[in-house]
Amino acid sequence: MIVNELILPVILVTIVLVVGAYLVAVIDGMIAAALGTPQRGGAWLAPLTQGAWLLTQQANATEAPDWRAWRLAPALYLALAATGLAVVPFSPTLIPTDLVTSVVLWGSVEALATVVIFLHGWSANTLLALIGAYRYVALGLSYILISMFVLIGVALPAESLQFSQVVASQEGLWNVIRQPLGLPLFLIVGLGMTFWGPFNLADSRDLAGGTASTVSGPSRLVWELARAAMLVAFSGVAASAFLGGWLGPWLPGPLWVMLKMLGVLAVLLLLGRLLPRVQPERCVTLMWVVLLPLSFVDLIWAGVEALL
Amino acid sequence: MAVSWLSRLAAQSSVPVFPVRGIQGEAALHRLTLTPGVELVDSPRHASILLVAGGVPPDQHDALRRVHDQLPNPFATLWYRSEPLAELASATRVDDPDALPGTLMTAHQELMRGKRGSSPRLLPDEPPNPWEGLGDDGHGGEGMMGGVPYGRPMAMNMHDDIRDGLTLDSLTVTLGPFLPMLPPGLGAKVTLQGDLVQSWITQHAPYPIALESVFLEAREHPVPIAELELARARYHLQRLAFALRLAGLERLALESLRLAQGLSPDSRLEGLRRRLTRCGFFRLTTTGRGWLDETLARRVGGVAARAAGLEEDLRSQDAAYGRLKFTPVVQSDGDTNARWCQTLAEIEQSLQLARQAEREGLYSETTEAIETPRGPWGEQRPGDASGVIDDLLPGLEWDEAMTTLASLDLAAVSEWPQDVTQELGEAPGDGADAAEERRA
Amino acid sequence: MDYPLIVDIFFLLLATLAVVSGWRVFCTDSMVRASFFLLVSFIAVGVIMILLTAEYLGVAMFFMMAVEMMVMAIFMVMFMMNPAGLNPMMMVHQHKFSIAAGVAIFVVLGGVALLSEFPDNPLPADLDPVASLGNELLGDSMLIFESAGIVLLTTMIGVVVLSSHRGRYGAAEEGSMPPGLEPGGDPAGMPEEGDEGGHHHCH
Repeated sequence: MIVNELILPVILVTIVLVVGAYLVAVIDGMIAAALGTPQRGGAWLAPLTQGAWLLTQQANATEAPDWRAWRLAPALYLALAATGLAVVPFSPTLIPTDLVTSVVLWGSVEALATVVIFLHGWSANTLLALIGAYRYVALGLSYILISMFVLIGVALPAESLQFSQVVASQEGLWNVIRQPLGLPLFLIVGLGMTFWGPFNLADSRDLAGGTASTVSGPSRLVWELARAAMLVAFSGVAASAFLGGWLGPWLPGPLWVMLKMLGVLAVLLLLGRLLPRVQPERCVTLMWVVLLPLSFVDLIWAGVEALL
Repeated sequence: MAVSWLSRLAAQSSVPVFPVRGIQGEAALHRLTLTPGVELVDSPRHASILLVAGGVPPDQHDALRRVHDQLPNPFATLWYRSEPLAELASATRVDDPDALPGTLMTAHQELMRGKRGSSPRLLPDEPPNPWEGLGDDGHGGEGMMGGVPYGRPMAMNMHDDIRDGLTLDSLTVTLGPFLPMLPPGLGAKVTLQGDLVQSWITQHAPYPIALESVFLEAREHPVPIAELELARARYHLQRLAFALRLAGLERLALESLRLAQGLSPDSRLEGLRRRLTRCGFFRLTTTGRGWLDETLARRVGGVAARAAGLEEDLRSQDAAYGRLKFTPVVQSDGDTNARWCQTLAEIEQSLQLARQAEREGLYSETTEAIETPRGPWGEQRPGDASGVIDDLLPGLEWDEAMTTLASLDLAAVSEWPQDVTQELGEAPGDGADAAEERRA
Repeated sequence: MDYPLIVDIFFLLLATLAVVSGWRVFCTDSMVRASFFLLVSFIAVGVIMILLTAEYLGVAMFFMMAVEMMVMAIFMVMFMMNPAGLNPMMMVHQHKFSIAAGVAIFVVLGGVALLSEFPDNPLPADLDPVASLGNELLGDSMLIFESAGIVLLTTMIGVVVLSSHRGRYGAAEEGSMPPGLEPGGDPAGMPEEGDEGGHHHCH
């Protein structure tokens, strides 16, 4: 019983997280190379050498940081990514944590991520990191709201707050078709929450790396790993909420989940490389004036459909 | 064993380099951006090599030491056409741009394999002000705010908010001269409220920029217009690349730099322009901020002036340009967006002029007044215009301020041409000789 | 009741965490740290609720409290840029009153815990706590919860409107003037100049 309920889920989540984060780096490197970034060595080796370099680099100090929060924040972000991935069902039986409120748990992962990202920037006691932290918080609330409305939309046809039920409810028709607004909105939130590509406002270039601008060595490695892991967790949730999770012909369920996750990751990473960073003020307007009303529309759509 | 395995792996990573952009170091950095295996990073904390590209004036050596000490161990320094700090006796100096990538990679590999020791710390590791906390948990003085344990007062709301009435505490910081988002050498004292720039006081003007030697020759004798126009387009493309990188459009920045590197009269800008418009650069990143009125625009000159609707271009005084039916392109808005539209239009115009001039073998005729890519050079060289940002940036958010800064070309024009081994205090004759050699 | 020993162990650990981090709230010297210690305390309580099989309430506690503490920290910190708590602040005030209030509340709650009789109804095995909570919230008590929600929302909007200088007819410090009824006319709905005898500085 212990094996099935504790050890197996932990091993599964760890493997998917580590391999997934590595694949994020590899796919991103391949996309960059295809788009013309000069590369030395293969995309498969680059994340490993980069990681090895960060491990040999010393973790630096700033003047009077809040040490506890500064060192803990990357680890906490990684832990949140692991928690998020733990609610993703890989097959009807292979579910790391089959909580009846797993959709709400994912919502709280998003909310707590805001806290952790803020702490990471605030505790370094430097200007650029602080600005990055504030920016994320200013936007984080809108990400959470959009994501929650979209996820309530997928919970309605399932009549459950459990991701396994959400997947099961897509047996006939995947949510990506049933609620066409849902997946695009959720992907945008995903880029925002992992501050990737166009929504990289917390760790952006105009802030010399933002919340990560003053971290080096192992803690930077953990932070970057956690960001990639959060992207993996996000793709897992997107695959189960909109792309029918384990459902699919011929192949076994877990394989389908992985393939769908990879597809979502590839789309997100490609968008990240193709689009410019959105200006913060424009991003606030986009979130509250365009995307939030669209998520209401999505919710009403889902509600009307559930009634019919 | 495990450690040596790790460091061998680390030695294979691409070389993270933090560039300190000194006087006349830009050209080498453009080349490095396109070099595989070298990664230019934005923060000294993310680098294993500090590359000082170009000279740094002695009064900024303290700032350089502070940047130097921010690199985490192990790290090395490399000085490209720059005199190493006196304390760093064993620092590596490189003057040949072709040898630079190789030297960087060797330095990184030697560091990782332990064959080269880390650069020593130059400044004592202590807070700038002594600890002055009182009481059990350092509350300091009386009352809620406590004291000033680091000799620094608490950020207090001394200023009214200038935007939406939500008054936050204002924080005053000194930025530059090596902050990678600012023009090289620009130093400023900035008061921020959240990420809103409350006040901006420029303390150091940016380093003078060196133009390609063809512009300086054009002041002395007629030069082929094709060469002049290609150099102009190259200059603008390199500035565009900087802004694109800042906007997170790495691939277009590289495309722009590559275009600049292999620029010929047959080069076409359409592809870059199309991709730039499609990805939403003009809608998402640049906005109608950083608006210059006529007076300020005239003070900056060049692209900024024409983007604000001033039809001022000294090329129209040149009879040879008249034969090419040259008329200046202008925009009307005068904001960041208009400046980039103007830059793109001018690159296209330059390419077209170069094509025409090459066909007809035209030479410039006027030498008293030439239009440099930085602005008009009539009586005197375009001077430093960094004073305008003190009025321009307050009221903008940090991101808008940085985007605006990238769209403005503020530095004075140096009296020495680009790509010359030119150092502070070195006799000017040497520089001219080197320029002769290069052309030969 | 029949549950494994590990539940007891977790309960004790989490209860300790909740109490210790709750105590740290009052010992720390920065508002941000205080809010996030409080958050840790609430999260520990949320996990205890999950242990009590109140799954929805426990998980809801996580995200409610995360957002709440974040907003709290932002309202305090944004108005007070104090990165990394560099400048320590006194976090406790009105010592006598707060000690008295703390002791009184402790006695009352302790009395409730020790003296009251808790119901001992075993839950039916097929009870779905999420569904029953939903039925309660959106069934008979719907009117109460919905009106409370709307009141809270209007309060929030009101606070934002009041704290902003930006009014319907321009910035507050410039003196907002409504437009005239006809183009170029006098401001509509404004008292005639001199009605108040020019006592603009009277309070």
